[in-house]
Amino acid sequence: MNTRKLVSLVIALAMVMTMCLSASAETVTELPRNESLYFAGQQWGAVATWNPIGVNQNNAMACTAQAIGSRTLMFETLYMYNFMDGSMTPLLADGDYAWNDGMTEMTVKLNKAAKWSDGTAITSADVVATWDIANKIGNGTATNYAAFISAIEAVDDNTILIKSALTEAGAPVNPLKVVEFLGNAFIVQKAWIETVAARNNDDATAILNDKADDVVWSGPYTKYISNDQQVVLIRDDNYWGQDASMWGKLPVPKYIVHTIFADNAAGETALKAGEIDVCQQFIGNIQDLWLKDGLPISTYMEEAPYQVCLTMPTAFFNQNIAACQNVTLRKAIALAVDYDSIIANAMTNQSPTFTDVPRSLMNPTEGEQALYDHDAVKDLQWAGNDIEGAIKLLDEAGIVDTDGDGWRELDGEKITLNACCPNGWTDWQASMEIVADAGKNIGVDITTLYPEWSVYQTVFTNPSQTEYAIFMYSPDGAGPAQPWGRIRQFMGGDLVGVENNWTGNWGQYTNARADEILAAIPVTTDEAELKALYTEAVEIYLTEVPSFSLMYRPAVFHEVNESVWTNYPDATDGRNIPPADCTDGYGIAALYELELVNP
Amino acid sequence: MKNTLRQVFHSGKFVAGFCIFAFILLMMIIYPLINPGNPLERIGVGTFAKPGTYVSLYDTVDTETETFKLADADDKRLAKILSDSDRVSMVEWLTQAEVDLTGVSMNDTEKLLDLWHANYDDSIRLKGMTKAQRNYYVRLNNSLNNASKADTLTVTDVDPDTNEVVEKTKIQKTDYVNVGDVANTKTLPLGTDNFGRDVLKELVSACGTSIMIGLIAGLVATFIGLLLGLLAGYLGGVADDIIMFITNIFTVIPSFVLLILISYSLGQDQRGATTVAIVIGLTSWVWTTRSVRSQVISLRNRDHVNLSKLSGHSLMRIIMTDILPYIASYVVMAFILQVSSGILAEAQLSLLGLGPKTTEVPTLGLMMNWAMLYSAHLNGSWWAYFPVILTIAGISFSMNLMNTGLDQVFNPTLRD
Repeated sequence: MNTRKLVSLVIALAMVMTMCLSASAETVTELPRNESLYFAGQQWGAVATWNPIGVNQNNAMACTAQAIGSRTLMFETLYMYNFMDGSMTPLLADGDYAWNDGMTEMTVKLNKAAKWSDGTAITSADVVATWDIANKIGNGTATNYAAFISAIEAVDDNTILIKSALTEAGAPVNPLKVVEFLGNAFIVQKAWIETVAARNNDDATAILNDKADDVVWSGPYTKYISNDQQVVLIRDDNYWGQDASMWGKLPVPKYIVHTIFADNAAGETALKAGEIDVCQQFIGNIQDLWLKDGLPISTYMEEAPYQVCLTMPTAFFNQNIAACQNVTLRKAIALAVDYDSIIANAMTNQSPTFTDVPRSLMNPTEGEQALYDHDAVKDLQWAGNDIEGAIKLLDEAGIVDTDGDGWRELDGEKITLNACCPNGWTDWQASMEIVADAGKNIGVDITTLYPEWSVYQTVFTNPSQTEYAIFMYSPDGAGPAQPWGRIRQFMGGDLVGVENNWTGNWGQYTNARADEILAAIPVTTDEAELKALYTEAVEIYLTEVPSFSLMYRPAVFHEVNESVWTNYPDATDGRNIPPADCTDGYGIAALYELELVNP
Repeated sequence: MKNTLRQVFHSGKFVAGFCIFAFILLMMIIYPLINPGNPLERIGVGTFAKPGTYVSLYDTVDTETETFKLADADDKRLAKILSDSDRVSMVEWLTQAEVDLTGVSMNDTEKLLDLWHANYDDSIRLKGMTKAQRNYYVRLNNSLNNASKADTLTVTDVDPDTNEVVEKTKIQKTDYVNVGDVANTKTLPLGTDNFGRDVLKELVSACGTSIMIGLIAGLVATFIGLLLGLLAGYLGGVADDIIMFITNIFTVIPSFVLLILISYSLGQDQRGATTVAIVIGLTSWVWTTRSVRSQVISLRNRDHVNLSKLSGHSLMRIIMTDILPYIASYVVMAFILQVSSGILAEAQLSLLGLGPKTTEVPTLGLMMNWAMLYSAHLNGSWWAYFPVILTIAGISFSMNLMNTGLDQVFNPTLRD
């Protein structure tokens, strides 16, 4: 009996010890609160690599390259894009870029003050090496821009020449994408690229997946702590940007901390508690946080839609499914959907309605809206919830219920469609429920389907899939190449049949005239002509309905809690800093102007 | 039979459980008669409207009014927009802006408001004030400005012919309408959910679906459990070994894990309410088998069973007439528990997002799932999930009470 007791005691002790040990290994490092800026909603799961030329880094804070402005905390781009006014502010570059007359070559000067973390200067050789390695190993930079840039050459140590890829006629394919490159691609040190290539024996896959723990950076922050609880970047006090030619000072917070949460609810709770300063998450009825709960939380704008909407989550019709090839049916479904409900419900009014901003291929910013002729396509618009109109359309086209089961048939077969989006993406799921309801109201059998994201992403990017009939994805938000890029994403014939397609036209829609317009827009400089092209594209889109947008949505959510830090960007402050979570594109300027609430 | 029923209804616990269950069933029958229509119909455009009676603002304008002079009306109106903490904040702002506050009491509303209106300017940026605080003062100022308007509110309309703004009516501060006279009012005893659906209506309908799921799951589980238990217990030998081998395997695999795996692999488009019910039934028969078997083993060597064997009765007849009636009360009790655990299992599965697909029928679990997905527990919309929890608790509590009551009646060791 005694031995048994002893044994159980020992086992119990051992278990307690193991728990203590494992707990201590996972302890979150305590950082001084008034030197740290806490984030949520960007990083999910532990960081994989710190490789700026790699893929699948799962490293949101350091390696996010995107058209709306790359996250330049650790690695830097040539320019910083500002999605509020479309401007490009030099970062590694010096002054504005210059095109030659035919827009076939662009000259960019580099800032002579720019230095790598090891103290060496950033030169044109680094930019050239970055471009060359991208093409050699096929990383994101190459996928996005190889079709638009033919070569990057060094003119001298501080001047580079970017050559546009040319069409057969000798015109640049798309100068807008070249401009986008400037704010998107991280410039990486040539010496480090050579080290990585050498240690991986020039094997592309190995280079793409290199952990890059020895990476050389140029940005104001570098890696400090990274585990499955948090990612911490620490300020590099030798940052070159202190030079008067750039910021003239260091960013204010010493630590950039991203706590890794299990889900949105955990992040939201932490934001409310003041444990998070900047949050990139959708929070339903965000205004209640200040109106009802009286919390020191705010967004960019005090009134609805609270955020700057740059994109429009869209339901695509899968052209591989026979029923979805029928224009009348597509239009009828799109007419019947109650968009006001989606916006009030799924987006809790954090989006303008389609009455405020009529549907088109443009995002709701003033700049893009001015690109097409609103009156010319007025009659093609629809505000939604037009059940009678949809029923009339279907009846006239002979898509009726012939066997009396309450559901309509097309070519003798009952129309059965599913409406899909990833499971757990609640605002999208709610939208799909409302689309399914629209189907019921017009006698078309639509059921919802929510696969896990891991499954969803493999299916909707497959050009020959027939599993999803109506499925959701977001086109790109803002960027120098918009709205051209978005038109391509909705109707670009060049994207049909592309395997593993993350770029666009997931519904596999083709339209010869749309392709002609897409080819013409980038090389058209006459404004009236450009407007005519854009208007025609919108006209085709609204007539053919290859997809229908369900709401407008911010490209990044931007919610801040002013318990510790204040002086975040604000719509009324006149500083022109975009609400990009103080990290993306020109949004990083906010980091240099933050102030402590209680210094 | 009559005697048994009388015995059963003598048990206080059974009667209590039965009453709760009967109440829930009655609600399911009566409420749809009072409030007919599709329970999944979205009536609200926004999310989570709180419980209460809603009166059409549009219709009140045209409704006949009565004049009441209520002494505290103005105070109430002010209290609605100016709470005590708002007063403190106002004083804080005025102090910060270096306004002379001598002789002004916090409760002296008139003086405080005068000072406020005289001094507040939203363009003044006070030191150390965050954006959230500035926004708060702007909102407070706006609502104070709106409130201190004259005694009459003018409603205007646009003349469709001339496009001119014409006065439609004047509303006095002392005008009241009788809610009964307003053309459109809507009472939502439990508010609306994330989709803007009437929660009570949905709850009543979900109750029915969930009880149906519980019944199907209970029937499937009890049928399998009973069949295998009877065979194993009565036949014994190799048949018993094989059946018990399978049963033991299912015992050691946690049934909920099995349930999750099956639901997941079925895929969402296959998961109707009935399918989910059957899957739940298929994973929860184990303990019925084990207990039925042990009961049968104790019965199979009784004299009357041996007598039947000697008389050459068939296996079927012996089981049906000589064994089953003796364990019938036990099986009924097991069935009740299976139903209650089936309802719970559906709720758990749906909460994990593995329940029935969502557009067709409401179930208790799906209501909780959507409430959770829309953070009802974080934003204080208790009406979207708490009544559901209470209902689930009510159903399983009533069933467990009935079960305990039956146990007291039928189990000789528990009999008084």
